[in-house]
Amino acid sequence: MRAAAFLLAWATASAYAAEPKPAGTPPPPSACVACHGELDGEALEPVRRAQDDVHFQKGLSCHDCHGGNPAAPSDDMEAAHDERKGWVGKPSRLKVPLLCARCHADPELMKSYNPHTRVDQLAEYRTSVHGKRNAAGDDKAAVCVDCHGVHGIRPVSDPRSFAHPTRLAETCGRCHADSARMDAYGLAVTQYADYKASVHAAALYEKGDLGAPTCNDCHGSHGAVPPGGGSVANVCGSCHGREATLFRETEAKRGLDLDLCIRCVVCHENHAVRPPTADMLGVGPRSTCVTCHAEGDPEYRAAAGMGAAATRLRERLAEATDLLERAERAGMEVSADRFALREAQDQVVEARVLVHSFDEQRFMAAVAAGLEGAEKGVSAGQRAFRELRQRRIGLAVSLVVILAVIVGLALKARELDRGLPPGGVST
Amino acid sequence: MSAEGEPPRGLRAWLDERLGLSALTALAREKTVPLHRHTAWYYLGGMTLFLFTVQVVTGILLLLYYRSSADEAFESVQFIMTRVPFGWLVRSIHSWSANLLVLVALVHMFSVFLLKAYRRPREVTWFTGVLLLFLMLGFGFSGYLLPWNTLAFFATQVGTEVAGAVPVVGRFLLRFLRGGDQVTGGTLTRFYGIHVAVLPALTTLVLAAHLLLVQRHGMSVPESQHAARTGRPARSVPFFPNFLVRDAIGWSAAVGVLAALAALFPWDLGEKADPFAPAPAGIRPEWYFAWMFQTLKWLPAHVLGVEGELVGLFAFGVGGLLLILVPLLDSGGRPGRSHALIVLGWVVVVYAAAATAAVYLNAASG
Repeated sequence: MRAAAFLLAWATASAYAAEPKPAGTPPPPSACVACHGELDGEALEPVRRAQDDVHFQKGLSCHDCHGGNPAAPSDDMEAAHDERKGWVGKPSRLKVPLLCARCHADPELMKSYNPHTRVDQLAEYRTSVHGKRNAAGDDKAAVCVDCHGVHGIRPVSDPRSFAHPTRLAETCGRCHADSARMDAYGLAVTQYADYKASVHAAALYEKGDLGAPTCNDCHGSHGAVPPGGGSVANVCGSCHGREATLFRETEAKRGLDLDLCIRCVVCHENHAVRPPTADMLGVGPRSTCVTCHAEGDPEYRAAAGMGAAATRLRERLAEATDLLERAERAGMEVSADRFALREAQDQVVEARVLVHSFDEQRFMAAVAAGLEGAEKGVSAGQRAFRELRQRRIGLAVSLVVILAVIVGLALKARELDRGLPPGGVST
Repeated sequence: MSAEGEPPRGLRAWLDERLGLSALTALAREKTVPLHRHTAWYYLGGMTLFLFTVQVVTGILLLLYYRSSADEAFESVQFIMTRVPFGWLVRSIHSWSANLLVLVALVHMFSVFLLKAYRRPREVTWFTGVLLLFLMLGFGFSGYLLPWNTLAFFATQVGTEVAGAVPVVGRFLLRFLRGGDQVTGGTLTRFYGIHVAVLPALTTLVLAAHLLLVQRHGMSVPESQHAARTGRPARSVPFFPNFLVRDAIGWSAAVGVLAALAALFPWDLGEKADPFAPAPAGIRPEWYFAWMFQTLKWLPAHVLGVEGELVGLFAFGVGGLLLILVPLLDSGGRPGRSHALIVLGWVVVVYAAAATAAVYLNAASG
């Protein structure tokens, strides 16, 4: 039905002109569509999908990629597929990047569609593992159409595009989770499953946070490479800037190349980045510190101290929060104290970030600031409960006094009534 | 105290000559309250007056710390609740007493309605009483916004929007109430002025008239308790001190109830209003406006081609007018009309109670 509507729209468009068309207008009718529209199966697919294709919407047509004569009679396949008119048929996979780059690497042309669009995809691609294998003649290496699709290519911003952030991991996984393909390269196929279980995927798919990283945010898109040992902190630091800065500061201060021994992935994994938990710090069974530091090391002792301090901060904060919440439920006005407690809670976040400085003193200073706020919160909660008790005692005393007044008044009323004739004064 | 018949001496004589105190003491001596099986209802007027006095006293105390600007209102009430000695008590009593006041005033009015105490010559006493009730509702509406918390802010927005839907003058009313097109700090200042100056001034006048008329006509005795109907001689008790001592028992009990409510259920302050935040769920007005709120929700979008909200507002307007005009509707002593009025009164009460219950049941379930 959609294909029929598309054909009708096509047929009613203006006559075909071989000269370049203004950017942004649909192409005129062509022999390709007229003929392929009558065919079935795979031969019909390009026509059926073209209506969703960003290239078609911008005025490009079949012959812009495949060559041939779009002005040929619709029943003359040979005239349409005329090699003298540049007919190339289905481009070879090895040549696809160059074919796409004819336009996408041409700044003048691309500017006519979008002045901000990038034109370095081919250059980037050539630096990627995919591009290098392609250049070396490996026709199984990923080319443009593997990620962006073919006939029906949508802009990356379109959620239906294979390269949209919400679909990209699935797109990469089509090859990288396929052991039949990856075995030949000796590559693991767990990345996609690992990523889907990660905190990043949870942010992207569950919270709908399009800023959360997917494959290309760490590996690059056209220039896709596995980040090397020296660049992991840079890759993670492109989003986790404060942690990366702290990491670098310590590195410079101590004259170490920490990247070599402490990379983000040692504690956090790479594809399967789990939500950071409090018990990663310290020397407990789920600690990541003990992965490298053994009992007796000064670092081990530091980790034990930091872990214990962080635990105490959390416990005191939990106590303060619980006390203030219970006081609030009891009707006490503690909103200002609860607001003040937020600063202490912020110190928990601060301390967690400062872990990445590997500087015990800085970490302990943040914990101390948080503990001070937590203690104030605990005091405020205890004060609220003391006041609540005082209020209730005050109420009990007041009620006794009021009751005594009522009894006194009742006795007085009875005494006054005794002075009246029975049943009151007759009027 | 000087003996009966002897001219007063000393300070009392000095004051009496200038203030006419002896006339007041004579009035106190002469004033009596009828004694019959419905005498208990007479206490409600005194109780309403007592709670109003509590409002005046606690209101004046709150004035010492309250600040009527959008930037400071919430914080000043928070300060009263946490830092001012017994501020929590004063504010909670003010809030609880306001609600009890409206409740007692409603019961007082309905008892007067059922006992037909509004009949000649007490029609004007009824008019002033209904006006006082409306003034109390005005106090409630204007006071609700003053802590500048989220619930009050959005409830006021809805309430003033309803006023804005009144035909012809709606736009003027809305802007008059809000002090602009939106509920802002300007509205708060305006409501504050209305709450602490305009309404108290009007209430003083109407209350004075109401009390004077009560003294002028004395307490109404229901027809069923007239000596001619009961076959027993009409009896009464002196107002001072017999009835007043009983009043004082009720007032003391009210102080105890208010203290208990304030200590056990301090009035919630909520969260500071944020005019740019979306309206939270569960917005509802004070309970005494809830039945009108629910009625507007129940009404279909259009009734006989007229907008449902307008139909509701028209009905409330007519209802308020009928309430004021009760003594005139019941004039002439025709039993059939009088009976119909009583039935109508009960229908309104049962409907209002059901609609109010619906609001709170919806809130509990949703």
